[in-house]
Amino acid sequence: MNALSAYGLLAHGLIFGALASLLPLGMLRPKAALTATAIALIAGIAPIMHAVFGTPSVTLLVLAVLHLPTRPLAPLGYRGALGLLVFAALFYPAALGWGSFDPYALGYRPLLLLCLLALAGGFLWWRRHYLWLTILAVDLAAYASGVFNNLWDVLFDPLLVLLAAAIVGRHHLLAFIAARRR
Amino acid sequence: MHDASSRPPLPGHLRWLAALAFVLTLVAAGWRLPDRNTTPAFALPPLAASPAAGLISQGMLPGVGSSAASPSLARLADGRVAIAWRSAATAARQQDAIWFSVFEHGAWRQPFPVSSTEEAAGSLFAHVRQLSEPVLFQHGSALHLWFAVSGAGGRSIVHTRSDDDGESWQGLARVAASPLANTDLRLRHPPLAMTDGSLGLPLSQTWLGGHGEWLRLDAAGKVLEKSRMPTASAALDPAVIAIDARQALALLRHPQQAGLQLARSDSAGEHWQGAPAIDLGGSPSALLRLPSGRLLLAGNAGQGRGTLAVWIGSADGSAWQAPRIIETAADARAEFSEPSLAIDGDGRIHLAYAWRGEGIRHLVFGEAWLDGGQP
Repeated sequence: MNALSAYGLLAHGLIFGALASLLPLGMLRPKAALTATAIALIAGIAPIMHAVFGTPSVTLLVLAVLHLPTRPLAPLGYRGALGLLVFAALFYPAALGWGSFDPYALGYRPLLLLCLLALAGGFLWWRRHYLWLTILAVDLAAYASGVFNNLWDVLFDPLLVLLAAAIVGRHHLLAFIAARRR
Repeated sequence: MHDASSRPPLPGHLRWLAALAFVLTLVAAGWRLPDRNTTPAFALPPLAASPAAGLISQGMLPGVGSSAASPSLARLADGRVAIAWRSAATAARQQDAIWFSVFEHGAWRQPFPVSSTEEAAGSLFAHVRQLSEPVLFQHGSALHLWFAVSGAGGRSIVHTRSDDDGESWQGLARVAASPLANTDLRLRHPPLAMTDGSLGLPLSQTWLGGHGEWLRLDAAGKVLEKSRMPTASAALDPAVIAIDARQALALLRHPQQAGLQLARSDSAGEHWQGAPAIDLGGSPSALLRLPSGRLLLAGNAGQGRGTLAVWIGSADGSAWQAPRIIETAADARAEFSEPSLAIDGDGRIHLAYAWRGEGIRHLVFGEAWLDGGQP
């Protein structure tokens, strides 16, 4: 056992709980999330998610935790999700061997990334996105803890990209349905 | 979805708290950045004189399970040779395992499993269905072992180490080598030691045709940096040898075609350049520097896996001799594959390979045997 494996298992349990909290259960939603988290950890769902998706990013974990309370927070909106999708569409092919530049390698010695994150933090402060500023602070704290080896793994992961795709897809589906009803 | 902008604005002190937390954690992350030292040189092991002997011994490893394959040899700090290999589950209630043994006083010690499917799953907290491709390497006082774990979705590389010559092993940890957890990373060949105690580990990524990659790991097995090996076409399974303290040669095989792709580095693995391909008439895979300084390759000659051969090359890999056949057969079950090479403290060369899908054959010989005589 190591800290990263333990984190991955527990985080996937919470993410599964957050997914369950999307069900329209009204006041029972937080309890359903708690029950789903326990089931994911006990019944072997979290280890399978861990094997399929790998270690979840801290960003995804924080988004899942923010979704658990009675009054959930969902800071990832359509524009943010679309931006993440576009970035992932460029990042993953390059990191997996398309071309000679490997952006994932930047995450092992992430001085450049930290400089870019400093700029992003200033932008978020200026635009008053304090929740995202706090999420980035949690990400950086997780990286500083030494548990993660690569800064990219803290910031985002394939499951977060899938979530972004679902948000974008849902937005366009609702727009399409609304257009059909006019 | 709830929109954050629809919520009441944060009190002023919470805004400043968020900004303060961001700045503090940014500084902490900067503090944790790895040192920006220049890339260390390759640690070139001293070459022991080879005994003037021919074939010293040959035999099968002690049988474990019903299927043994993927041997990986390594020289221990005291000069003995150790081996790790995979036994695959062939029936219900069986499970894959990585086995380990040490060759001493002319015989293999009783093998024992380092990890099984269940143990790997318990250590990684993840679903694991299969273990494969062990790679063993001694560096300093630590014996490192990497192998691939496959579960629901794909395969990743894990690492463990032993500080007592393989008697006990630490828990497994995933090697963070790819942004997708379950990309098909392949690990076939041992790493090179670096002068600062780190390791250079060659592996390949099979997505988008396949390409070689070079990871530099610290003594604990964590990735410090990563670079890509450019080749003229798709290439897999890099075997790397140090030419001198800064130069290295990587041999990679094409996924479908015969011949070897080459890559060279003049910066101790920090950067790689493609080099003209060569065709040795087979698909050699294991690479070793002989006591004389020449290079030794082992692998399958011709098509298929029915012939195992070795090739001797010049010290810089620029010229290669015709292959010497180690074992060949034409029957339907002839399969001699996955060779591994090591040299022990007495300069004797060890060759282990998967034999007919039944077990692992082990040969010990002097360098003189490679230059003459019959197998």
